[in-house]
Amino acid sequence: MNVVIQTALIGITVGALYGLLALGFGLIMGVMKFVNIAHGSFVILGGYVAYWLFTLLGIDPYLSIPAVMLVMFVMGLILYRLLFSPLLKYPRAEMRLDKSLLITFGVTWILDNTVTILWTPDTRSIVTSYTGDTIDILGARLGFTGLAGLILGVLAALALNLLLTRTYFGKHVRAATEDSGAASLSGVNVQRTYMISCGIAAALGGVAGVVIVSSYSIAPSGGLNWLLTAMVVVVLAGEGNIAYILPAGLILGLLQSGSTLIVSPAYQQPIALIIFILVLMFRPKGLFARKG
Amino acid sequence: MLEISHMDVSYGDLQALWDVSMTIEQGKIATLVGSNGAGKSTLMYCVSGLIKHKTGSIRFEGMRLDAMPTHRRVEHGICMVPEGRRLFPQMTVLENLEVGASIAKARKVRFDTLNWIYDLFPILRERKKQRAGTLSGGEQQMLAIGRVLMSQPKLLLIDEMSLGLSPLLVQEISRVIKEINQGRKLTILLVEQDVQLALSLADWGYIIENGRIVGEGKAGELLCSEQVRQAYLGMELPGRVEYTG
Repeated sequence: MNVVIQTALIGITVGALYGLLALGFGLIMGVMKFVNIAHGSFVILGGYVAYWLFTLLGIDPYLSIPAVMLVMFVMGLILYRLLFSPLLKYPRAEMRLDKSLLITFGVTWILDNTVTILWTPDTRSIVTSYTGDTIDILGARLGFTGLAGLILGVLAALALNLLLTRTYFGKHVRAATEDSGAASLSGVNVQRTYMISCGIAAALGGVAGVVIVSSYSIAPSGGLNWLLTAMVVVVLAGEGNIAYILPAGLILGLLQSGSTLIVSPAYQQPIALIIFILVLMFRPKGLFARKG
Repeated sequence: MLEISHMDVSYGDLQALWDVSMTIEQGKIATLVGSNGAGKSTLMYCVSGLIKHKTGSIRFEGMRLDAMPTHRRVEHGICMVPEGRRLFPQMTVLENLEVGASIAKARKVRFDTLNWIYDLFPILRERKKQRAGTLSGGEQQMLAIGRVLMSQPKLLLIDEMSLGLSPLLVQEISRVIKEINQGRKLTILLVEQDVQLALSLADWGYIIENGRIVGEGKAGELLCSEQVRQAYLGMELPGRVEYTG
């Protein structure tokens, strides 16, 4: 019994991080129909910013989140201005999709190597006084950093959902997601909506980076691995279904950690990819797609 | 109010409009009549700015529109109901209408406009919490017109108003078009596959063939001409046009 609860706790904390990772990736994919391969590198970069603030200024990683988000927001705007906005001249979404894939793949190389120059290829993590602390839940143990990641994931998903459903800006984002042409015919400044969405996506990636650097570790080349997980989550949730990204992340986390009860933990990545393929085969619009 | 002169438009190597010139007067209803692929929708998208023209000029109230992005044109009062309506199907009826009132000027008066639209189409009030994708074709067309009216248009472009609607609904929508034209002094440019209907609603008609304007005249006179009977062929379906910056 204890093992099951422990496994579930691990699944939930990992799953929340998966959801957090996928929020920014899914936002860009949903709104702009761009596949941002560089999202994982943005996550890592956010982690390094937190690491820097911690080692140079001694700022607690969780307190540095606003600063990390601000830095990453600006990075997102730069990414949009330099590389994404020129793609808008292609009139069809599918032309933008494959070009964005190639361009952001290039961005990944540039970012990863820049990070290597700045911080060396060493693996880094933030160790604070509370890093090893755990809380007892029904006899199982939940790490403090895992709990913090869970709370941050839920908060970020809630905040994004409120933004998208309750504000005028959010309605513009959703309108541009569904039909960018019709949105601009309704007076929505689609360029600006895209640019700010891009900033928000990068900022959310930064939060995920803080969680990773304080509960796991980061290395310059780790971005693509995290990206792969984000992709699986977005496919589970269904493209454009931003409200379901966190639940999808939790499902993936629980499935992965549950699998360790049966097979070796070494199979976690293959299991995620098998789920990815099965969902694409049988529920290509995601687990939560409405009929019709 | 709207003045198009010597406009050419191409999609890559394919030229869609050739030396198009037309004028629409304030407060009138004009219609564009032509067969499949004649360039009617292209012309409409050029006026709204989703498609950029190559040469020539578009003037609106004396101001040149050439490089102005679509949402800025909406701010100046050029608004469009695109073919196929292009609602936001996952958003509710109310949200669709709210997005219609995106520009600052329209947002200020959105509650008044909303009540006016609910009076024009009472069914939209009943269904305001429902997702737009679940509405019937007729309700969707009402919502599309409601959404565009939320933007406080001065010049209203309507592409394929009656496509797929029952005769009764076509009558209902035509009545509203007349009403907003007369009551709100809205200028309207109508593209309509039902040439009979279009010319009976409009004051002035243009005939477009293979991307060229080949005739124009008072709507009532065009209705009887031989030229119109030849152009009266049915509907066209241009590809979906995305936002192009």
